[in-house]
Amino acid sequence: MKLLIGQILPYITVTLFTLGVLYRLGRWVGPRIVHNITLSPWPKTNTEVAIRVGSEAFLFRNLFRFDKALWVGAIMMHLALLNIIGGHVVGFGFLGEQFALIPGLGITPELSTEMSDMLGTVFGILLFVTLLYLLFRRLTIPHVKLVSKPSDNMWLIYLIVLVGVGNIMRLFHDFGVGYEQVRDYIVALALFQPVTHMELLSNGFFLTHYLLVQILLIVFPYSKLMHLFGMFAERWIVNRVYKDPAPGIPNIDVAAARKAGIGIPSDDAAEEGV
Amino acid sequence: MPEYKGMVQPLRATPDEMRKIFAEPVPDEQKPEKALEYLDEIRKKFRSFVVAMESCVKCGQCAENCHTYLGTRDPNNIPANRAELIRKIYRRYFTLEGRWFGKLVGAEDISLDVIESWYSYFYQCSQCRRCAHVCPFGIDTCEVTFIGRQLLHWLGITPKLHAAVGGAMEKVGNHTGLPKPGIIDTLEFMSEEIMDEFGVEVEFPVDKPDSDIIYIPSSADFLLNPYTLMGAGMFFTYIGANWCIPSTVTEAGNFGLLFDQYYTQRGNVNRLLNAAHELNAKKIVWGECGHGWRAAKMYVPSMADRPVRWPLTHVHDEAAELIRKGELKLNPENNPYPTTLHDPCNYVRACGLNDNMRTIIKAVTVDFREMTPKGEDNFCCGGGSGILFDDPEMYQRRIQLSQKKADQVRATGIGKDGHGILCAPCSICKAQLYPMVEEHDLGVEVKGLVDLLGKALVWK
Repeated sequence: MKLLIGQILPYITVTLFTLGVLYRLGRWVGPRIVHNITLSPWPKTNTEVAIRVGSEAFLFRNLFRFDKALWVGAIMMHLALLNIIGGHVVGFGFLGEQFALIPGLGITPELSTEMSDMLGTVFGILLFVTLLYLLFRRLTIPHVKLVSKPSDNMWLIYLIVLVGVGNIMRLFHDFGVGYEQVRDYIVALALFQPVTHMELLSNGFFLTHYLLVQILLIVFPYSKLMHLFGMFAERWIVNRVYKDPAPGIPNIDVAAARKAGIGIPSDDAAEEGV
Repeated sequence: MPEYKGMVQPLRATPDEMRKIFAEPVPDEQKPEKALEYLDEIRKKFRSFVVAMESCVKCGQCAENCHTYLGTRDPNNIPANRAELIRKIYRRYFTLEGRWFGKLVGAEDISLDVIESWYSYFYQCSQCRRCAHVCPFGIDTCEVTFIGRQLLHWLGITPKLHAAVGGAMEKVGNHTGLPKPGIIDTLEFMSEEIMDEFGVEVEFPVDKPDSDIIYIPSSADFLLNPYTLMGAGMFFTYIGANWCIPSTVTEAGNFGLLFDQYYTQRGNVNRLLNAAHELNAKKIVWGECGHGWRAAKMYVPSMADRPVRWPLTHVHDEAAELIRKGELKLNPENNPYPTTLHDPCNYVRACGLNDNMRTIIKAVTVDFREMTPKGEDNFCCGGGSGILFDDPEMYQRRIQLSQKKADQVRATGIGKDGHGILCAPCSICKAQLYPMVEEHDLGVEVKGLVDLLGKALVWK
């Protein structure tokens, strides 16, 4: 088990994830944007495009405009997720002391570790709760239920379990693993050194959490999680700069035409016409 | 009766009618296999389709934002589910997850039933792009139903209405089948009408060589919306333009966009450019037609098969520009009734006409009231993409599809005294709304925007 999940699978995971994502993106690059299907009112400059796409990607603008209840759940969930992924990287990378490295704030390494712990706890719980909320929404709101496939619910349940295990390790220190253990493990993996003797691989919760993450990454390219990239690919098609051709009818002089009375019948013609 | 296993379907063109528009129907037993073949071909060409197939997360936001679903409450009319009708096939045959996990991810084998469901539901979609507008990712279900309709056309399944329109276009250059003498007669009649009603002399030149601009009216304006064409004629005369209507293209619409984006749409585009070339025109100005304006403005560049020498603008663009410059003398009192503006989908979500329409309507009416939502957030009339079917079942659907629009119009209060004006500057919107304002008893009359402009012009 230790050997498989801790030593062998990680390399397979990274390879399959990278190749899978590249394969999927490649499938999108092959077909062309054949016709101009920009959504109007269209942006007039690239800055406007960036603002539009940025506000959709990071603030979920459309969800905010058209469905506030979904917006709250979606943005909190993604925000928590982003912080947790970031937290895993810097937390393990700097052993929780990352905030002490920010100059001028006077944060001690001890305080930084405490902050790191606290942020992880808060975002972990937030992510768990928001995932439950999204699942609840999928199971209760009629029109969302109507569009859901089994895999949509399964992904949410999968993530809830994954995050749940992570939260148990975070909240109950007896089940947790230390920052240092994880860092040493990752370093060893990166250097292709044996890791099976390491203490953290004896922790059942860690192994479960770690296995679930790896399975997720392997399946990622063939799942709805690809919307991380799909969002930008789609926006790249529908939000592009468009410039209208200049209006103006050639060779007209409205003032002169009106002065000449074009269209106004001469008196005779008017009488005949009636 | 146009129904298949409980699904409403528009009346379909006969094999002979299909052959007239150069499509050979595929026998039923070969349809599933051929559908897959065509789908495989087309998915390798259109990125908009592939990304729409692979990015939806089923958040459900599109449901309550689609007038078709709001009006029918049919689950398959939720845009995400409508796209799913084709996505389940795409998954099953062209993705790993669909091949391995099947039903779990909603993959399904192709069958004649599936193809028939495409015909039912892709022709209930108005291709208004409101789902793309509200989708957090911008997934354009319109692209999916475009391709669905394309596949159906190649299989030989096209509504009678669309095929007839395609055939008439091929034959005489407009959708109503009006030949050149009929066009000239009608235009002369309109000149007389203008003289009688407005007391001004307006000529409608046809095929005049070396015209500075050619004007492309919707052919419905010759018969159903005469005031739109009369308004345009008065406008061009008023500003002293050297203009004409080309007799080979008396049609702003291009149904190719709606059922066959290959041969039919491309053919119409080239027919237009040939006319501009032959008359040695400098510019092409478009009449009131929503899908047609989109097909012209956004698709001519990619379908022209030659450098496009002619700038394309909409008559609203030109009028709004002159109004902004203060060159038109207008009397809004000529349009004294409470007026609201229905935003044609293609104008506001595909062609950026939002502001120009408002510049005009505010200048030519006394009592203009916006509906809610408005502009790019507005709902479709329910007839979008030419689903103006007249058989009893589909007609009932049309009443349902226009429910949201009826609610919006009622909320403005313009029809309270029975003389409101619902300005809907698009031929399909007009054709849908003429009967629908009666069905919903809205107390309004449907008009084009150029109609109102023509009325407001002050000649002396």
